Amino acid sequence: MIEFYHVSKAYNGWPALQDVSFKIDKGEFVFLTGPSGAGKTTLLRLIFRADAPDEGQILVNNRNLLHIRESEVPYLRRMIGFVFQDFRLLPKKTVFENVALALKVSGVPEGVLRVRVAETLGAVGLGHKLDAMPMTLSAGEQQRVCLARAIVNDPQILLADEPTGNLDADLSGEILELMKSANARGTTVVLATHNREMLKRWRRRVMRLEQGRVAEDGYPEA
Amino acid sequence: MTRLRYLLREAVDNIKSNRTTTFVALATTTFTMLAMGVFLLLYLNVQEALGSLREEIKVIVYLRDAVSPQAVSRLRAEISQDPAVAGIEYVSREQALATFRAQFPSEERLLSGLGDNPFPVSLVIKVSPAYRSSEQVRELVQKLNALSETEEVLYSQDWIENLAVALRYLKVLGLGIGTVLATSMVTILANTIRLTLHARRDEIEIMKLIGATTAFIKTPFVLEGALLGGVGTLCSLFLLRTLFGLAEAKLALRGTFWGIGRGLVFLPDRVTVAFLLLGMMLGCLGSVVSLLQLRGARS
Repeated sequence: MIEFYHVSKAYNGWPALQDVSFKIDKGEFVFLTGPSGAGKTTLLRLIFRADAPDEGQILVNNRNLLHIRESEVPYLRRMIGFVFQDFRLLPKKTVFENVALALKVSGVPEGVLRVRVAETLGAVGLGHKLDAMPMTLSAGEQQRVCLARAIVNDPQILLADEPTGNLDADLSGEILELMKSANARGTTVVLATHNREMLKRWRRRVMRLEQGRVAEDGYPEA
Repeated sequence: MTRLRYLLREAVDNIKSNRTTTFVALATTTFTMLAMGVFLLLYLNVQEALGSLREEIKVIVYLRDAVSPQAVSRLRAEISQDPAVAGIEYVSREQALATFRAQFPSEERLLSGLGDNPFPVSLVIKVSPAYRSSEQVRELVQKLNALSETEEVLYSQDWIENLAVALRYLKVLGLGIGTVLATSMVTILANTIRLTLHARRDEIEIMKLIGATTAFIKTPFVLEGALLGGVGTLCSLFLLRTLFGLAEAKLALRGTFWGIGRGLVFLPDRVTVAFLLLGMMLGCLGSVVSLLQLRGARS
């Protein structure tokens, strides 16, 4: 589903990723970990083509991102859901409108859209807050709206950049459960975190980055 | 349909979210389009007047005294063959004298001093509508001058042609002023849209990240420009019609306009629609100018 071949990326001469190669299969759940500045966010940004690599090849769903046209990027992104650490919700739109936007950009008909948004917000426990404005919600609720927006169009890949970074342990657990549910439905999940507790509790493949390189890749020992 | 409704609502939201700037842009658009409308109206009315005057173009051929009535008849038949000639009126010496007496009764003394009827026989030629350009009338005059029976040919076209030249200058001036006004309108609208873009830059970034196409992101801004341009132009048309009504009422009190019976004309429906479309297009252009900035932004 996601393949990196000798990928390097630098920002202003500072190497964010260096010769990174890995493969993530369809339906896998991968924790991406490592200290701050290790290259986690860069790696995620490369997957959904927010940036292009300086060297190497990236394949997403068998499509080489180096050869994808600019006009095709929006269509690539529609098969990828993204959960941001800072939520990135539109403050002047309601919870419903924020989530619906992900379907509107794909031209989903109004009737279908209403049902799917209501169902998804219900699944993340916010069925009663459809008309609320994001700023009136707690951090955990805002992150759930962000997650609902990422999964409402049933993406093939779900990327999450420190989604629990601003949340307490209970809320982090809730968010992670929701991601596991998406994964159980067949979505490939890549979750960047440096929450060691989470890694211990959920025994999934862990890819550790250090100074822009893959330092470890495997399943934690029991 | 869902998408179109959404894009239109976004355009209206953009306008609402930036009320002061929108008001300034709308006022500028209104007065810019009003200035253009005034010029257009002026041009159309001068053109209309010119057309009306051209219908009055007549060529008068004064014949030599020695020309016999038979020769006049032959000459009339010959001249009427020319496609540039729409009609010929024969004016005898007696008719010419009577006309002069009727028009200038105070100059009776002048006539008595001259003795016998001094007026020559003349043919008043009405020019066909398709042959009223300067060159064509001049060509006809040359032909008439070349006739052996002709003493002199007079025609009333020169000052009409001067008016036509003035109209051409007015057109060039109007185009020049129109271009300057249109450029300033586009610039002001572009700045308005730029402010909206700046206010919504985070939103645009998020929309890009969730897979919105460039068209989906940009269309509301283009629609916003078209709406501003369209509404501003409608306001200007309303003002223009009001001003036109006032001018018409004032001129009606003084009688006909430049002695022409038709009076003033307002923009025809076709031109009004074209004018509205021009306003909308300039609005769109303003949006496009500001959206060019987005092209450079990281997708």
